[in-house]
Amino acid sequence: MKDIPTESINTESERQKLIDSSQFQGIHWFILMLSCILTFAAWYIATEQHNKSVAERFERESLQSIELVKERMQLYEHALWGAVAHIDASDKEVDYLQWKNYSDSLQIHQTYPGINGLGIILNVKLEQKNSFINQQQKQRANFTIHPSHKEPELWPITYIEPYLTNKQAVGLDVAFEKNRYSGIKNARDTGLAQLTGPITLVQDAKQTPGFLFYAPFYKKGALRDSVSARREAIIGVTYAPFIMSKLISGTLAVDKRHVTLKISDNGESLYNDADNDDASKIDPNPLFIKHIDVDLYGRKWQFQISSNLDFRENSKSNQPHLILLGGVIINLLLLALFIFLSRANKQALAYADVITRELKIKTQRLVKSNQDLEQFAYVASHDLKSPLNAIRKLVSWISEDCENLLPASSKEHLTLLNNRSERMNKLLDDLLDYARIGRHEYKSQPVDLAATAREIFSLLDHPKTFTLSVESQSLNVAKIPLEIVLRNLISNAIKHHDKSSGHIEITYEKDDDSHAIYVKDDGPGIPKDLVDKALEMFQTLRPRDKVEGSGMGLSLSKKTVEHYGGSLTIESDGKSGTTIIVRWPAKNTK
Amino acid sequence: MTVEKKEVTLLLIEDDEVDAMSITRAFRKMSLGNPIIRACDGLEGLELLRSGKVQSPYVILLDLQMPRLNGLEFLDEIRQDPKLVNSIVFVLTTSKSDEDITASYRKHIAGYFVKDQVGEGFLDIVKVLNGYWKIVIFPGE
Repeated sequence: MKDIPTESINTESERQKLIDSSQFQGIHWFILMLSCILTFAAWYIATEQHNKSVAERFERESLQSIELVKERMQLYEHALWGAVAHIDASDKEVDYLQWKNYSDSLQIHQTYPGINGLGIILNVKLEQKNSFINQQQKQRANFTIHPSHKEPELWPITYIEPYLTNKQAVGLDVAFEKNRYSGIKNARDTGLAQLTGPITLVQDAKQTPGFLFYAPFYKKGALRDSVSARREAIIGVTYAPFIMSKLISGTLAVDKRHVTLKISDNGESLYNDADNDDASKIDPNPLFIKHIDVDLYGRKWQFQISSNLDFRENSKSNQPHLILLGGVIINLLLLALFIFLSRANKQALAYADVITRELKIKTQRLVKSNQDLEQFAYVASHDLKSPLNAIRKLVSWISEDCENLLPASSKEHLTLLNNRSERMNKLLDDLLDYARIGRHEYKSQPVDLAATAREIFSLLDHPKTFTLSVESQSLNVAKIPLEIVLRNLISNAIKHHDKSSGHIEITYEKDDDSHAIYVKDDGPGIPKDLVDKALEMFQTLRPRDKVEGSGMGLSLSKKTVEHYGGSLTIESDGKSGTTIIVRWPAKNTK
Repeated sequence: MTVEKKEVTLLLIEDDEVDAMSITRAFRKMSLGNPIIRACDGLEGLELLRSGKVQSPYVILLDLQMPRLNGLEFLDEIRQDPKLVNSIVFVLTTSKSDEDITASYRKHIAGYFVKDQVGEGFLDIVKVLNGYWKIVIFPGE
């Protein structure tokens, strides 16, 4: 019973482990926290990257818009210079029909989408005004120059194609108005293609902002290396009128871009998506706004580009949210797993506790019933002994007193009576020993195996023809129980021997943790199927009248050895010789 | 100075008839003429002693397990009784228990015999008793 504290310490520590694992601990919280941090970090990084890519896209889209406008303006410039080249290449002055043919063959609406027309404005001195009108009226009877103004020169729009959409402009003297006039003077003085500031075209029924684009041409062969030379040599300009909204819708259709445009020139509005039909795509709170000044043919256009609703729509990305959602789900699952595990452990613990309690109660009952049984065996055998002793005495007195009186048969009966009493006495003695095994704990002490065995052998009543050989060995075991076992085994070997002489051999082996004592005889052996029976209490394999015995020797030995934590086994082929193997724990604890 | 030695009386306090007979038989076998007075339990023994029916010198052979007044209780009684305190008591019992042995000697017994170990028919006890009272000087009255 001494090992119970260590056992309970083990189970206690196991139990503590269960309790520990049934509770949320630092490691669980740490893992959960780490997982949360990772989730939010992933979400943050994904969001940042997305925002960055959106910003880059806006940058790209806005620059693209400007580039498209620039490209378009270059295209128009080419058209103007193409017209200039046509004029320069003509032998005589270009007349109305020739210009009409030119622009028709150019198919300007297909070639130059967004352009409102292509025309020529000629420079006319005040004194030439009437002869100029007369000359034009040869081909177009209703040609006049209008309106009148106070400038020293005239810049009438002479030809403009297609005529139908531009007829209001024919004969319009562009010097009448500041923006048109200063633009044309800039073109004349620089020799470059130039724009006017914002104007309203006379042919635009909607009266929306527009501008003119001029390219100057000069007298053939004249010097044009200075402003004054160019002023001297100027003949006119080719020009194109533009309605800004038409230009933009041709260049940057609203449905093809994700930005809202607002273009102004020197504070005057040129174009604003808000004024158009597609204003629905404007984002009242744009994600991005960008201001860019672009130098265009003598003017500075201020672009205000802002992201529109399409952009906002395309910028939406579920990825960061999905990452966040996924992470949160994983964390919740993790939490659920931890809770589940902890609950499972708690249940296991509760179950184990219940089982342990039941086991304890059962063990207590078992211990109690064992004690009761031993107590009963002890008391019964003890109390049975005294009447038996009295019987034996009385029998011996009758034998003594009536030696000469009794008939021979009665004497024999008395002998048998005595004999049976002796047997019962032995039975009770063994039963007492058996019951006593657990009543006293013997301490380990050094025991000389050979000396002990020889002493037992010599004390046993046996014929001189029996011999014993025993290995000399010193053991550290409980002496008295070992003596009980050896006495019973040696006594059995002699008692059950089938011949008149025999040899008993006791050998010893040391295992890792036990002493193995082999008690070997050369008797008749025990048949295999009777080995188990031989170990049972009160079992004898031969009639008691032939071999005196209680039938308790082996079971007593077995119980003794087992009480000290060892084992007793029988090895026999059932023909000759039996070896009883006693394994006695070598530990000093018992 | 010579004192005529009187025969020692044996007071046998024993509930078991057969055991009591064993003692008397052993005395007969040894041809001893000492008077033997038997009491069936401690109480009867005490009465015999107190009534003066037991002649001095005497030796008491006492069983432990008896009805009414057992051996140890009997010892308590006589050790408290100034008249009986000097009594020489041998214990003859079936009990081998250390507690009984120790308790008995604490009450100043002269010897402790275990019935199983005294040989056939209690002859050894009788031999011891015979030897004992032959040479032992008994307490004066």
